[in-house]
Amino acid sequence: MRTQYFLMLSGLAMAAVLAVGCASTDNKIGAAGSAPDGSKLWAQNCMRCHNARPPDSYSDAQWEVALMHMRIRANLTAEEHHAILNYLQSDD
Amino acid sequence: MITRNKLAVIAAVGLVWSSTSNVIFGETADDNSRGVSREEYNQLLKRSEQLEKQMQEVREKMAQPPAAPTGVPAATPTGAVTRAAFDGLKSQVEHLSTIAQTTFPGTNKFLIAGYGAAGFTDQEHGGDRLFEASFNPLLLWKLSDRLLFEGELEFELEENETSTALEQAHLAYLLNDYMTFDAGKFLNPMDAFVERYHMAWVNRLPDKPLAVYDGLLPESLVGAQVRGGIPIESAKLNYAVFVANAPALNTDTNDDPGTLTFENFDNGDRHFVNGGHVGLRLIPELEIGYGVMAGEVGPSGEPNVKAVLQSVDLSSVMDSRALSGLVRFNAQWVWSRVDPYAFGIDDFDNNRDGGYAQIAYRPTHLHQPLLSKLEPVFRYDVLNQMETPTGFDEQRNTLGLNYWLTSMTVFKAAYEWDNRDGDTDHNALLLQFATGF
Repeated sequence: MRTQYFLMLSGLAMAAVLAVGCASTDNKIGAAGSAPDGSKLWAQNCMRCHNARPPDSYSDAQWEVALMHMRIRANLTAEEHHAILNYLQSDD
Repeated sequence: MITRNKLAVIAAVGLVWSSTSNVIFGETADDNSRGVSREEYNQLLKRSEQLEKQMQEVREKMAQPPAAPTGVPAATPTGAVTRAAFDGLKSQVEHLSTIAQTTFPGTNKFLIAGYGAAGFTDQEHGGDRLFEASFNPLLLWKLSDRLLFEGELEFELEENETSTALEQAHLAYLLNDYMTFDAGKFLNPMDAFVERYHMAWVNRLPDKPLAVYDGLLPESLVGAQVRGGIPIESAKLNYAVFVANAPALNTDTNDDPGTLTFENFDNGDRHFVNGGHVGLRLIPELEIGYGVMAGEVGPSGEPNVKAVLQSVDLSSVMDSRALSGLVRFNAQWVWSRVDPYAFGIDDFDNNRDGGYAQIAYRPTHLHQPLLSKLEPVFRYDVLNQMETPTGFDEQRNTLGLNYWLTSMTVFKAAYEWDNRDGDTDHNALLLQFATGF
């Protein structure tokens, strides 16, 4: 009974999120054939789990290490990794 | 300064030497028997005067103060530093500072990150009533563009002692753009809460949900994994496949028989588990995942006892202008199925399940400074194991309010309504002050 309640609650929440998400005008993870937008990928991938760390909180060299760590943890592709790194290094 | 002067002298002498030698030896080589015409004499005289003039210029230059570095205009005769000179110098200092920073040991290839927390728990009906503290340094070494070592320690106050644990120690190698090989002790990839949200500054409530943490799934594995992400059109597939030491079945009839011991580092029973996790992100705002691990867990030399652990997870983060903020929704449900075993007590179905659903909202788009830092949270979590020797089910409803001092430092306050079927409830007041670094 509790399992059903839980699944029903989760299903409703997922449906609501899908409805809102699909209505968004900017719902592509990465437009094929175009250069990836580092700031957008940063927001999509990093803020999925935690508040985003400000770009100036690390030096360029430190971001290199941190982003390599997050590439593995968050299953980033090389393209996503480099786009986010470039954004953070150019904005710090 | 000395080097510069020496170079100037050498250059001047070289210039004179080469010029003279061209004139003298060049002609001597051609014809050293004939005399010099008036016209040739005048040319030589003129050349000599030019050389004397050049020599004088070199001497004057040597007598002047050293020239400004490249890119920086020289000072004016009055000694005043122009704006351009200042900007040029500033630019050079910044450039040198960057070079110094990137070559300084500890910043080039090594990074200390992690988190720390202080907490207070007050449970009703004789439960815990205490302050707590923990510290989790995360040490990262980038050994090359493809190689990363990651180690995490945990220092925690526990039963009048400071416990120390090696949370992670693993070496990862980037095989290609979409795949990484990783080996050592790593966070359990099939448990979304453990991999993504358990850190004190990331977890939205002071305590962790039942079943998914310190419950039915291991928090870390000792083994090897291959993982990565693959873009599929506008969607993305995340994956991880692993082999690791198996948990051990607890057969002690006096200590919660039937549960799995995940801290099984010696792997005395010589069993391994295989498993993995896939996550599908159809849109950036939503990801759904499924994880599984299976393997033998019973004592070696006895009939096979197999365990299958499964998990489904869902995460959604929506930056809503209509709601003027960020809405986070997370849910996960796990199943633990363990084959029957002759414990020597009454038979029981060794099946357990549980999970949580949590929603948090932070009005980040509000321009009111105080409100935009507040974040109300609600979580429902449950653990079902009534039919096992553990003997009770538990459900909790937790309502919390967070105040974010910075993007990585948070003060959390929550009240938890606990309901245990078959045991004493422990409603609780929970406070936590946590930071990531």
